[in-house]
Amino acid sequence: MRCKEASQQMQLYFDNRLTIQQIRTLEAHLASCDACLEELTIFETVVKDLETFKVVAEPDDLNAKIMRRVALAASQRKTSPSRFSLWHPSLLEILVAATLATIATIGTILQQPSIRSMLPFAKGHDGLSLAYFNMLHALMNVDGTTLILALWIAGTLLGVCITLIVAGSEMRTQWFRAMLERLPVR
Amino acid sequence: MSEHSLQSPQTIGIPLTNVVPSAIEQDDLLLVAASKNGDQEAFAQLVQRYQRLVFNLVYRMLQQYEEATEITQETFLAAWQGLPAFRGDARFPTWLYRIAYNCSLKQLELRKRDRALQVALEAERTLVNANDEQRENAELDARDRQLLVQEHLSHLPTKYRIVLILRHLQDMTYEEMAEILTMPIGTIKTHLFRARNLLKERLQSLNRESDMG
Repeated sequence: MRCKEASQQMQLYFDNRLTIQQIRTLEAHLASCDACLEELTIFETVVKDLETFKVVAEPDDLNAKIMRRVALAASQRKTSPSRFSLWHPSLLEILVAATLATIATIGTILQQPSIRSMLPFAKGHDGLSLAYFNMLHALMNVDGTTLILALWIAGTLLGVCITLIVAGSEMRTQWFRAMLERLPVR
Repeated sequence: MSEHSLQSPQTIGIPLTNVVPSAIEQDDLLLVAASKNGDQEAFAQLVQRYQRLVFNLVYRMLQQYEEATEITQETFLAAWQGLPAFRGDARFPTWLYRIAYNCSLKQLELRKRDRALQVALEAERTLVNANDEQRENAELDARDRQLLVQEHLSHLPTKYRIVLILRHLQDMTYEEMAEILTMPIGTIKTHLFRARNLLKERLQSLNRESDMG
Protein backbone atom coordinates (compact mmCIF):
# COMPACT_ATOMS: atom_id res chain seq x y z
CA MET A 1 0.00 0.00 0.00
CA ARG A 2 1.26 3.48 -0.91
CA CYS A 3 1.14 6.37 1.56
CA LYS A 4 -1.40 8.30 -0.55
CA GLU A 5 -3.73 5.31 -0.56
CA ALA A 6 -3.18 4.86 3.17
CA SER A 7 -4.24 8.45 3.75
CA GLN A 8 -7.50 7.82 1.87
CA GLN A 9 -8.07 4.61 3.82
CA MET A 10 -7.57 6.50 7.11
CA GLN A 11 -10.33 8.90 6.15
CA LEU A 12 -12.64 6.00 5.31
CA TYR A 13 -11.70 4.37 8.59
CA PHE A 14 -12.97 7.41 10.51
CA ASP A 15 -16.22 7.16 8.60
CA ASN A 16 -16.63 3.44 9.44
CA ARG A 17 -16.31 2.52 5.78
CA LEU A 18 -13.53 -0.07 5.94
CA THR A 19 -13.92 -3.82 6.07
CA ILE A 20 -11.91 -5.85 8.59
CA GLN A 21 -9.57 -6.92 5.79
CA GLN A 22 -8.97 -3.30 4.73
CA ILE A 23 -8.26 -2.31 8.33
CA ARG A 24 -5.71 -5.12 8.61
CA THR A 25 -3.98 -3.95 5.41
CA LEU A 26 -3.90 -0.38 6.70
CA GLU A 27 -2.49 -1.54 10.04
CA ALA A 28 0.25 -3.43 8.22
CA HIS A 29 1.23 -0.28 6.35
CA LEU A 30 1.15 1.85 9.50
CA ALA A 31 3.42 -0.62 11.26
CA SER A 32 6.11 0.06 8.68
CA CYS A 33 5.55 3.77 7.93
CA ASP A 34 6.21 6.38 10.61
CA ALA A 35 4.97 9.27 8.45
CA CYS A 36 1.54 7.66 7.99
CA LEU A 37 1.40 6.71 11.66
CA GLU A 38 1.99 10.34 12.55
CA GLU A 39 -0.68 11.39 10.06
CA LEU A 40 -3.12 8.97 11.67
CA THR A 41 -2.36 10.44 15.10
CA ILE A 42 -3.12 13.95 13.86
CA PHE A 43 -6.28 12.79 12.13
CA GLU A 44 -7.36 11.10 15.37
CA THR A 45 -6.76 14.34 17.25
CA VAL A 46 -8.82 16.34 14.75
CA VAL A 47 -11.70 13.87 14.76
CA LYS A 48 -11.64 13.54 18.55
CA ASP A 49 -11.69 17.31 18.94
CA LEU A 50 -14.56 17.61 16.50
CA GLU A 51 -16.55 14.92 18.24
CA THR A 52 -16.05 16.41 21.67
CA PHE A 53 -17.78 19.61 20.65
CA LYS A 54 -20.50 19.91 23.20
CA VAL A 55 -24.16 20.09 22.34
CA VAL A 56 -25.34 23.63 22.79
CA ALA A 57 -28.74 23.95 24.39
CA GLU A 58 -31.26 26.07 22.57
CA PRO A 59 -32.97 28.95 24.42
CA ASP A 60 -35.69 27.77 26.81
CA ASP A 61 -38.39 29.68 24.99
CA LEU A 62 -37.44 28.55 21.49
CA ASN A 63 -40.37 26.14 21.17
CA ALA A 64 -42.81 28.82 22.33
CA LYS A 65 -41.34 31.37 19.91
CA ILE A 66 -41.59 28.95 17.01
CA MET A 67 -45.17 28.00 17.83
CA ARG A 68 -46.17 31.67 18.13
CA ARG A 69 -44.90 32.27 14.62
CA VAL A 70 -46.58 29.10 13.38
CA ALA A 71 -49.89 30.17 14.94
CA LEU A 72 -49.56 33.61 13.37
CA ALA A 73 -48.79 32.09 9.96
CA ALA A 74 -51.76 29.73 10.32
CA SER A 75 -54.16 32.56 11.22
CA GLN A 76 -52.86 34.68 8.34
CA ARG A 77 -53.43 31.78 5.99
CA LYS A 78 -57.03 31.55 7.20
CA THR A 79 -57.70 35.26 6.80
CA SER A 80 -55.66 35.77 3.65
CA PRO A 81 -57.72 37.00 0.69
CA SER A 82 -59.13 34.32 -1.56
CA ARG A 83 -58.70 34.44 -5.31
CA PHE A 84 -61.95 36.35 -5.85
CA SER A 85 -61.94 38.49 -2.72
CA LEU A 86 -61.01 41.64 -4.64
CA TRP A 87 -63.76 41.04 -7.15
CA HIS A 88 -66.76 43.05 -6.10
CA PRO A 89 -67.88 45.32 -8.96
CA SER A 90 -70.50 48.00 -8.34
CA LEU A 91 -73.94 47.95 -9.99
CA LEU A 92 -72.97 50.78 -12.34
CA GLU A 93 -69.86 48.89 -13.42
CA ILE A 94 -71.90 45.77 -14.12
CA LEU A 95 -74.41 47.77 -16.20
CA VAL A 96 -71.67 49.49 -18.25
CA ALA A 97 -69.92 46.18 -18.83
CA ALA A 98 -73.21 44.53 -19.84
CA THR A 99 -73.97 47.36 -22.30
CA LEU A 100 -70.51 47.11 -23.90
CA ALA A 101 -70.80 43.34 -24.08
CA THR A 102 -74.22 43.68 -25.75
CA ILE A 103 -72.80 46.07 -28.33
CA ALA A 104 -69.94 43.67 -29.05
CA THR A 105 -72.38 40.74 -29.37
CA ILE A 106 -74.72 42.61 -31.70
CA GLY A 107 -71.73 43.61 -33.84
CA THR A 108 -70.71 39.97 -34.13
CA ILE A 109 -74.26 38.84 -34.93
CA LEU A 110 -74.68 41.44 -37.66
CA GLN A 111 -71.51 40.25 -39.33
CA GLN A 112 -72.75 36.64 -39.57
CA PRO A 113 -75.53 36.25 -42.20
CA SER A 114 -76.49 32.76 -40.95
CA ILE A 115 -77.10 33.98 -37.39
CA ARG A 116 -78.67 37.19 -38.65
CA SER A 117 -81.28 35.29 -40.66
CA MET A 118 -82.45 33.49 -37.50
CA LEU A 119 -83.34 36.76 -35.80
CA PRO A 120 -86.71 38.48 -36.14
CA PHE A 121 -84.85 41.73 -36.83
CA ALA A 122 -81.67 42.85 -38.60
CA LYS A 123 -82.58 41.03 -41.82
CA GLY A 124 -81.51 43.88 -44.03
CA HIS A 125 -84.78 45.86 -44.27
CA ASP A 126 -85.17 47.38 -40.82
CA GLY A 127 -83.60 50.61 -39.62
CA LEU A 128 -80.87 48.97 -37.54
CA SER A 129 -79.64 46.84 -40.42
CA LEU A 130 -79.74 49.68 -42.89
CA ALA A 131 -77.78 51.96 -40.59
CA TYR A 132 -75.21 49.22 -39.93
CA PHE A 133 -74.74 48.36 -43.62
CA ASN A 134 -74.55 51.98 -44.65
CA MET A 135 -71.81 52.54 -42.11
CA LEU A 136 -70.00 49.34 -43.17
CA HIS A 137 -70.13 50.30 -46.89
CA ALA A 138 -68.87 53.79 -46.12
CA LEU A 139 -65.95 52.32 -44.21
CA MET A 140 -65.21 49.64 -46.84
CA ASN A 141 -64.84 52.36 -49.43
CA VAL A 142 -61.93 53.74 -47.46
CA ASP A 143 -59.70 50.66 -47.32
CA GLY A 144 -60.53 47.02 -46.52
CA THR A 145 -57.28 46.15 -44.72
CA THR A 146 -57.33 49.31 -42.62
CA LEU A 147 -60.94 48.65 -41.70
CA ILE A 148 -60.21 45.09 -40.51
CA LEU A 149 -57.27 46.37 -38.48
CA ALA A 150 -59.37 49.13 -36.97
CA LEU A 151 -62.16 46.70 -36.09
CA TRP A 152 -59.68 44.29 -34.56
CA ILE A 153 -58.18 47.05 -32.39
CA ALA A 154 -61.63 48.33 -31.44
CA GLY A 155 -62.73 44.81 -30.50
CA THR A 156 -59.63 44.24 -28.40
CA LEU A 157 -60.03 47.57 -26.61
CA LEU A 158 -63.69 46.80 -26.01
CA GLY A 159 -62.71 43.45 -24.50
CA VAL A 160 -60.09 45.06 -22.24
CA CYS A 161 -62.59 47.73 -21.14
CA ILE A 162 -65.23 45.12 -20.31
CA THR A 163 -62.72 43.05 -18.35
CA LEU A 164 -61.48 46.05 -16.38
CA ILE A 165 -64.96 47.27 -15.59
CA VAL A 166 -66.10 43.84 -14.43
CA ALA A 167 -62.90 43.39 -12.40
CA GLY A 168 -63.89 46.14 -9.97
CA SER A 169 -62.05 49.18 -8.69
CA GLU A 170 -59.44 47.41 -6.49
CA MET A 171 -58.34 45.03 -9.20
CA ARG A 172 -58.34 47.93 -11.66
CA THR A 173 -56.07 49.97 -9.38
CA GLN A 174 -53.69 47.07 -9.03
CA TRP A 175 -53.67 46.56 -12.79
CA PHE A 176 -52.94 50.22 -13.48
CA ARG A 177 -50.18 50.21 -10.86
CA ALA A 178 -48.63 47.10 -12.37
CA MET A 179 -48.80 48.66 -15.84
CA LEU A 180 -47.17 51.87 -14.60
CA GLU A 181 -44.37 49.89 -12.96
CA ARG A 182 -43.62 48.27 -16.29
CA LEU A 183 -43.28 51.57 -18.10
CA PRO A 184 -39.64 52.34 -18.90
CA VAL A 185 -39.99 56.03 -17.88
CA ARG A 186 -42.24 57.23 -15.10
CA MET B 1 -15.19 33.70 19.10
CA SER B 2 -14.20 31.56 22.05
CA GLU B 3 -15.82 28.33 23.21
CA HIS B 4 -16.68 30.03 26.48
CA SER B 5 -18.76 32.71 24.83
CA LEU B 6 -20.38 30.14 22.54
CA GLN B 7 -21.35 27.51 25.03
CA SER B 8 -21.82 28.91 28.47
CA PRO B 9 -24.20 28.87 30.19
CA GLN B 10 -26.37 26.80 27.87
CA THR B 11 -23.94 23.95 27.32
CA ILE B 12 -25.03 20.47 28.21
CA GLY B 13 -23.25 17.21 27.66
CA ILE B 14 -25.74 14.61 26.47
CA PRO B 15 -25.60 12.68 23.19
CA LEU B 16 -27.67 14.16 20.37
CA THR B 17 -29.72 11.06 19.65
CA ASN B 18 -30.43 8.32 22.07
CA VAL B 19 -33.65 6.74 20.88
CA VAL B 20 -34.92 3.82 18.80
CA PRO B 21 -34.98 5.21 15.23
CA SER B 22 -37.80 3.13 13.75
CA ALA B 23 -40.25 3.97 16.55
CA ILE B 24 -39.39 7.64 16.23
CA GLU B 25 -39.86 7.49 12.45
CA GLN B 26 -43.30 5.91 12.86
CA ASP B 27 -44.29 8.55 15.35
CA ASP B 28 -42.91 11.27 13.06
CA LEU B 29 -45.16 10.04 10.26
CA LEU B 30 -48.24 10.31 12.48
CA LEU B 31 -47.28 13.76 13.73
CA VAL B 32 -46.48 14.97 10.21
CA ALA B 33 -49.86 13.72 8.95
CA ALA B 34 -51.64 15.52 11.80
CA SER B 35 -49.59 18.69 11.23
CA LYS B 36 -50.51 18.63 7.55
CA ASN B 37 -54.13 18.80 8.64
CA GLY B 38 -53.35 21.94 10.64
CA ASP B 39 -52.80 20.32 14.05
CA GLN B 40 -50.43 22.76 15.75
CA GLU B 41 -50.11 20.55 18.84
CA ALA B 42 -48.68 17.78 16.69
CA PHE B 43 -46.26 20.18 15.05
CA ALA B 44 -45.21 21.48 18.47
CA GLN B 45 -44.19 17.91 19.33
CA LEU B 46 -42.09 17.70 16.19
CA VAL B 47 -40.49 21.04 17.09
CA GLN B 48 -39.75 19.76 20.59
CA ARG B 49 -38.18 16.62 19.16
CA TYR B 50 -35.93 18.25 16.59
CA GLN B 51 -35.27 21.80 17.77
CA ARG B 52 -31.99 20.92 19.48
CA LEU B 53 -30.63 19.07 16.45
CA VAL B 54 -31.65 21.84 14.10
CA PHE B 55 -30.42 24.54 16.45
CA ASN B 56 -27.00 22.91 16.79
CA LEU B 57 -26.64 22.48 13.04
CA VAL B 58 -27.58 26.12 12.43
CA TYR B 59 -25.44 27.31 15.32
CA ARG B 60 -22.34 25.49 14.07
CA MET B 61 -22.95 26.92 10.61
CA LEU B 62 -23.47 30.51 11.74
CA GLN B 63 -21.37 30.56 14.92
CA GLN B 64 -23.68 33.13 16.52
CA TYR B 65 -26.14 32.15 19.20
CA GLU B 66 -28.78 34.84 18.60
CA GLU B 67 -28.66 34.44 14.86
CA ALA B 68 -28.94 30.67 15.22
CA THR B 69 -32.04 31.15 17.39
CA GLU B 70 -33.66 33.30 14.71
CA ILE B 71 -32.75 30.98 11.84
CA THR B 72 -33.99 27.94 13.77
CA GLN B 73 -37.35 29.68 14.10
CA GLU B 74 -37.36 30.44 10.40
CA THR B 75 -36.48 26.83 9.62
CA PHE B 76 -39.47 25.48 11.53
CA LEU B 77 -41.76 28.14 10.12
CA ALA B 78 -40.64 27.22 6.59
CA ALA B 79 -41.22 23.56 7.47
CA TRP B 80 -44.76 24.32 8.69
CA GLN B 81 -45.53 26.27 5.54
CA GLY B 82 -43.93 23.62 3.35
CA LEU B 83 -45.62 20.63 4.98
CA PRO B 84 -48.30 20.32 2.27
CA ALA B 85 -45.47 19.76 -0.23
CA PHE B 86 -43.72 17.16 1.97
CA ARG B 87 -44.52 13.81 0.35
CA GLY B 88 -42.48 11.66 2.69
CA ASP B 89 -39.90 10.63 0.08
CA ALA B 90 -37.21 11.48 2.63
CA ARG B 91 -37.38 11.07 6.41
CA PHE B 92 -38.83 14.08 8.20
CA PRO B 93 -35.55 15.05 9.96
CA THR B 94 -33.67 14.76 6.67
CA TRP B 95 -36.15 17.12 5.05
CA LEU B 96 -35.94 19.43 8.06
CA TYR B 97 -32.13 19.44 7.96
CA ARG B 98 -32.25 20.39 4.28
CA ILE B 99 -34.44 23.37 5.15
CA ALA B 100 -32.14 24.33 8.03
CA TYR B 101 -29.10 24.09 5.77
CA ASN B 102 -30.73 26.24 3.10
CA CYS B 103 -31.86 28.82 5.67
CA SER B 104 -28.32 28.95 7.08
CA LEU B 105 -26.85 29.40 3.62
CA LYS B 106 -29.29 32.22 2.94
CA GLN B 107 -28.32 33.87 6.19
CA LEU B 108 -24.62 33.55 5.36
CA GLU B 109 -25.32 35.20 2.01
CA LEU B 110 -27.17 38.04 3.74
CA ARG B 111 -24.31 38.40 6.15
CA LYS B 112 -21.86 38.69 3.28
CA ARG B 113 -23.89 41.52 1.82
CA ASP B 114 -24.08 43.35 5.09
CA ARG B 115 -21.07 45.59 4.85
CA ALA B 116 -21.21 46.78 8.45
CA LEU B 117 -21.13 43.24 9.72
CA GLN B 118 -18.22 42.45 7.44
CA VAL B 119 -16.25 45.28 9.01
CA ALA B 120 -17.07 43.92 12.46
CA LEU B 121 -15.99 40.44 11.38
CA GLU B 122 -12.75 41.84 10.03
CA ALA B 123 -12.08 43.49 13.37
CA GLU B 124 -12.84 40.20 15.11
CA ARG B 125 -10.47 38.38 12.75
CA THR B 126 -7.70 40.85 13.57
CA LEU B 127 -8.30 40.16 17.23
CA VAL B 128 -8.17 36.42 16.61
CA ASN B 129 -4.86 36.78 14.76
CA ALA B 130 -3.43 38.76 17.66
CA ASN B 131 -4.55 35.99 19.98
CA ASP B 132 -2.90 33.46 17.68
CA GLU B 133 0.43 35.23 18.00
CA GLN B 134 0.18 35.20 21.77
CA ARG B 135 -0.85 31.55 21.68
CA GLU B 136 2.18 30.59 19.60
CA ASN B 137 4.33 30.98 22.67
CA ALA B 138 2.04 29.00 24.91
CA GLU B 139 1.85 25.24 25.20
CA LEU B 140 -1.11 23.68 23.45
CA ASP B 141 -3.16 21.66 25.87
CA ALA B 142 -6.26 19.73 24.87
CA ARG B 143 -8.60 22.60 25.68
CA ASP B 144 -6.68 25.10 23.56
CA ARG B 145 -6.52 22.66 20.69
CA GLN B 146 -10.28 22.13 20.78
CA LEU B 147 -10.78 25.87 20.65
CA LEU B 148 -8.45 26.07 17.70
CA VAL B 149 -10.22 23.26 15.88
CA GLN B 150 -13.49 25.05 16.46
CA GLU B 151 -11.98 28.31 15.29
CA HIS B 152 -10.56 26.66 12.18
CA LEU B 153 -13.91 25.01 11.56
CA SER B 154 -15.60 28.38 11.55
CA HIS B 155 -13.12 29.66 8.96
CA LEU B 156 -13.52 26.73 6.61
CA PRO B 157 -15.56 27.25 3.42
CA THR B 158 -19.25 26.50 4.01
CA LYS B 159 -19.26 23.37 1.84
CA TYR B 160 -16.51 21.84 3.98
CA ARG B 161 -17.91 23.04 7.30
CA ILE B 162 -21.34 21.53 6.73
CA VAL B 163 -20.00 18.01 5.98
CA LEU B 164 -17.82 18.08 9.11
CA ILE B 165 -20.78 19.20 11.20
CA LEU B 166 -23.08 16.53 9.82
CA ARG B 167 -20.49 13.76 10.03
CA HIS B 168 -18.86 14.43 13.37
CA LEU B 169 -21.37 16.45 15.34
CA GLN B 170 -24.56 14.84 14.06
CA ASP B 171 -23.00 11.43 13.34
CA MET B 172 -24.49 11.05 9.88
CA THR B 173 -23.56 8.60 7.14
CA TYR B 174 -22.50 9.56 3.61
CA GLU B 175 -25.95 8.56 2.37
CA GLU B 176 -27.78 10.78 4.85
CA MET B 177 -25.51 13.73 4.07
CA ALA B 178 -25.98 13.21 0.34
CA GLU B 179 -29.73 13.29 0.81
CA ILE B 180 -29.69 16.44 2.92
CA LEU B 181 -27.22 18.35 0.79
CA THR B 182 -28.57 16.93 -2.49
CA MET B 183 -25.08 16.01 -3.63
CA PRO B 184 -23.61 12.75 -4.95
CA ILE B 185 -21.88 10.59 -2.34
CA GLY B 186 -18.60 11.04 -4.22
CA THR B 187 -18.80 14.81 -3.73
CA ILE B 188 -19.63 14.37 -0.05
CA LYS B 189 -16.54 12.20 0.37
CA THR B 190 -14.35 14.66 -1.50
CA HIS B 191 -15.55 17.57 0.64
CA LEU B 192 -15.21 15.61 3.87
CA PHE B 193 -11.69 14.36 3.10
CA ARG B 194 -10.59 17.83 1.99
CA ALA B 195 -12.09 19.43 5.11
CA ARG B 196 -10.34 17.00 7.47
CA ASN B 197 -7.10 17.44 5.55
CA LEU B 198 -7.35 21.22 5.93
CA LEU B 199 -7.87 20.90 9.69
CA LYS B 200 -5.04 18.40 9.89
CA GLU B 201 -2.68 20.71 7.97
CA ARG B 202 -3.53 23.64 10.23
CA LEU B 203 -2.97 21.55 13.33
CA GLN B 204 0.35 20.29 11.94
CA SER B 205 1.53 23.82 11.21
CA LEU B 206 0.55 24.91 14.73
CA ASN B 207 2.41 21.96 16.20
CA ARG B 208 5.49 22.89 14.18
CA GLU B 209 5.31 26.52 15.30
CA SER B 210 4.85 25.35 18.89
CA ASP B 211 7.91 23.07 18.61
CA MET B 212 10.01 25.90 17.14
CA GLY B 213 8.92 28.26 19.90
